[in-house]
Amino acid sequence: MTSRSRPRRIGDWATLGLAILIVIFGLIFVGGGGYLLSLGGSPYYLICGIVLLASGGLMAMGRLLGAYLFLLAWAATLVWTIYEAGFDWWGWLPRLFGPTLIAILVVLSLPVLRRQDTVRPVSRGAV
Amino acid sequence: MRKPALLTATILGGMISASMAFAQIPPSNSTPGEETTTAATAHNAGAGRFGGPAPSAPQAPGVNAANLPDISEIGINEVPAAVPQIDATPAREDWPAYGRDSSQNRYSPLDQLTPENVGQLKRAFVYHTGSKPGPGQANKWAAETTPIKVGNSLYMCSAMNDMMRIDAATGKEIWRHDAGVKYHSIPYTAACKGVTYYTSSTVPEGQACHTRIMEATLDMRLIQVDAETGKPCEGFGFGGQVNLMQGMGESVPGFVSMTTPPPVINGIVVVNHEVLDGQRRWAPSGVIRGYDAESGKFVWAWDVNNPDDHHQPEPGKFYSRGTPNSWAAMTGDNELGLVYVPTGNSAADYYSAMRTDKENAVSSSIVAIDVKTGEPRWVFQTAHKDVWDYDIGSQATKFDYHHEDGTVTPALLVPTKRGQTFVLDRATGKPLPEFPVVEKPAPASTMSDDPRSPTQPWSTAFPRLAFPDLKESDMWGMSPIDQLYCRIMFRKARYVGEFTPPALDKPNIEYPGYNGGSDWGSMAYDPESGIVIANWNSTPMYDQLITRKKADALGLKPIDNPSYNPAGGGAEGNGAQADTPYGIVVTPFWNHYTGMMCNKPPYGMIEAIDIKTKKVLWSRPLGTARANGPWNMPTGLPLNIGTPNNGGSVVTKGGLVFVAAATDNQIRAIDIRTGKDVWSDVLPGGGQANPMTYEVNGKQYVAIMAGGHHFMMTPVSDQLVVYALPDTADQKH
Repeated sequence: MTSRSRPRRIGDWATLGLAILIVIFGLIFVGGGGYLLSLGGSPYYLICGIVLLASGGLMAMGRLLGAYLFLLAWAATLVWTIYEAGFDWWGWLPRLFGPTLIAILVVLSLPVLRRQDTVRPVSRGAV
Repeated sequence: MRKPALLTATILGGMISASMAFAQIPPSNSTPGEETTTAATAHNAGAGRFGGPAPSAPQAPGVNAANLPDISEIGINEVPAAVPQIDATPAREDWPAYGRDSSQNRYSPLDQLTPENVGQLKRAFVYHTGSKPGPGQANKWAAETTPIKVGNSLYMCSAMNDMMRIDAATGKEIWRHDAGVKYHSIPYTAACKGVTYYTSSTVPEGQACHTRIMEATLDMRLIQVDAETGKPCEGFGFGGQVNLMQGMGESVPGFVSMTTPPPVINGIVVVNHEVLDGQRRWAPSGVIRGYDAESGKFVWAWDVNNPDDHHQPEPGKFYSRGTPNSWAAMTGDNELGLVYVPTGNSAADYYSAMRTDKENAVSSSIVAIDVKTGEPRWVFQTAHKDVWDYDIGSQATKFDYHHEDGTVTPALLVPTKRGQTFVLDRATGKPLPEFPVVEKPAPASTMSDDPRSPTQPWSTAFPRLAFPDLKESDMWGMSPIDQLYCRIMFRKARYVGEFTPPALDKPNIEYPGYNGGSDWGSMAYDPESGIVIANWNSTPMYDQLITRKKADALGLKPIDNPSYNPAGGGAEGNGAQADTPYGIVVTPFWNHYTGMMCNKPPYGMIEAIDIKTKKVLWSRPLGTARANGPWNMPTGLPLNIGTPNNGGSVVTKGGLVFVAAATDNQIRAIDIRTGKDVWSDVLPGGGQANPMTYEVNGKQYVAIMAGGHHFMMTPVSDQLVVYALPDTADQKH
């Protein structure tokens, strides 16, 4: 059973790739968002970036919580979009279109993460 | 000064996959000026005179393009009494002047085409002007041409000033006059907005040159040919030509040029010219001149820094240099004996400390000049001490304003790049009481050597053609990443709303941008309904003054410098501003990675305004995303995003607005009652020109020059596309 903690199916690889992508976004958000905040701009990107780093990191470790964190960030982004752009469709495009595509992938990864997460205690027990 | 247009790329985005958007790679070099170009060999004449201005230096070879002798001067009393011109009272089916008639309102009384039948409009013919970039020539083309129509003929010019007469019903060329303009004479853009139809006061009907076609050329000539045959009018100037570089002093080809049809007012043809932006403080003069339309002889000059001397400069002397130039189409007024001149900035647009008080009094203004004397009768300024390139690109429109008490005032409608529209009394230049102008406080300069005007004028009653000031949350992109990039750019710049001054320490956002608001497309006005049709841009610019050292490092040199590189500093972008302490860096406020504008759409709008109620009847984005997208890729999407646009509209009695202008390369007909598209067609090139309409043999035609525009990055073509209803379709007349 020890090999189970290593990704070996396509779903596992895809989930790991998604997690890495989210970590990259998180890094860009934290870096750019921190700079933006230092210039007096919106704190959204820095805060969201930290959540994305946590989300991607947890997902890479096979933790379901990572996916839930992303979906939480997505939901918060929806609220933030309404706050900043109202219901102007053009304002929704940059804020929500890409993140929604990723959110769909995250939802698709839920079964994989659920399986990875349930085997984790067994793996731990074996250590 | 000159500014056609801008911006490619604005648009659409989310349709691209998010991962693509996230995978942006920084460009290797975002500074301008690395592109190699052809041109420029002509500028290599005369090294060693670039330490400063040398106004008495001789003009470089080729500046007097046709090697014409100097023209002599005559007094106003020697000008023959003018006969009525056809544009004063055009026949219903004609379009004899750039803006149709001498009021320049772009209104046609034709009504065969209606919202009900315009959907059946089809191409009647296509005429090729033959002017487009040759092999190895950089694309500087933007024909911007509007034909005129008199009798059964269209008269027009090509982007390189060849003139032609075309059968208005078939598109067959009747004659063509080769102007012989050379590539090196193209300033920033090869454009010819139109020709002037002139009826002679001395040549009897039936003789050659009784009616004449006149144009002003890129290489500063005024040319007249016989309207019937296209042969030069020998009685005008020297063999039908006048050299307008006379008295201009040192210059090189392409520095000074003309792109608009010169108006004739009471026998005086008035000429203005573009001086290439951003080159040097002591660029050639922006002088306005009047000539005898009959003989081509000089009558008067209005030289801003020599306001009391209306004569030609004596040998060895020159018109005052660096003064505000005027490149937009002028409007004539026979009744008041005035020409309304839309002026631009003094040379070196973004630095004002070296300008004289006389220049500051008349820049970015409408100046009404008495055509008998060359003396300004009144001046109305639309931006004080302009450092934003808010020169007036639009042609002013004359109209009669009907007050509530039943009285009528001859009025002038003045659109601006700021999106402020001023409505003036033509006799006095004062705003009409119904359209007050308020001086509001404006931001102070951070450049201690270059203070700004404490106030700027606002036309508070006329609907503003602009969106509210930008906010960080207005930043846009395809993804959160490029939106974040634009937010950082926004926060890095200084921006305190309109009139944020340029500075050395940080960039400033210029919004409205120098493409307007309203630019050279001007406005259309229906005098019967009192409805104004206005199309405008929402395209901010990102400017910054740079030290001379930095300008040198960027390779910014003026056009008359032997090492001038046209790609390094043209009229629309970065400029050397030689003779001043600073150069200027100007780009659209866009994402350098994707080429998309940083602000959210729409980027271009069209709206209808009722001049009586001052209410906006409808307002909508102009142009779809079909030919635009990130990385300049066409998306093919019919989304009505509203693109940057250049070129105006036509309004007809049939209840239609015809407009192209947008970067989606379409011409469309809009129902004036609803603002909705009722017809459109994809053009063979960009439709950056003013359309026109006319009737021949009972059939109404709509014509548009699909010449494209290099700066708008729309495809170049040499095609005039003309539409009409098929013979089988419903025609009311």
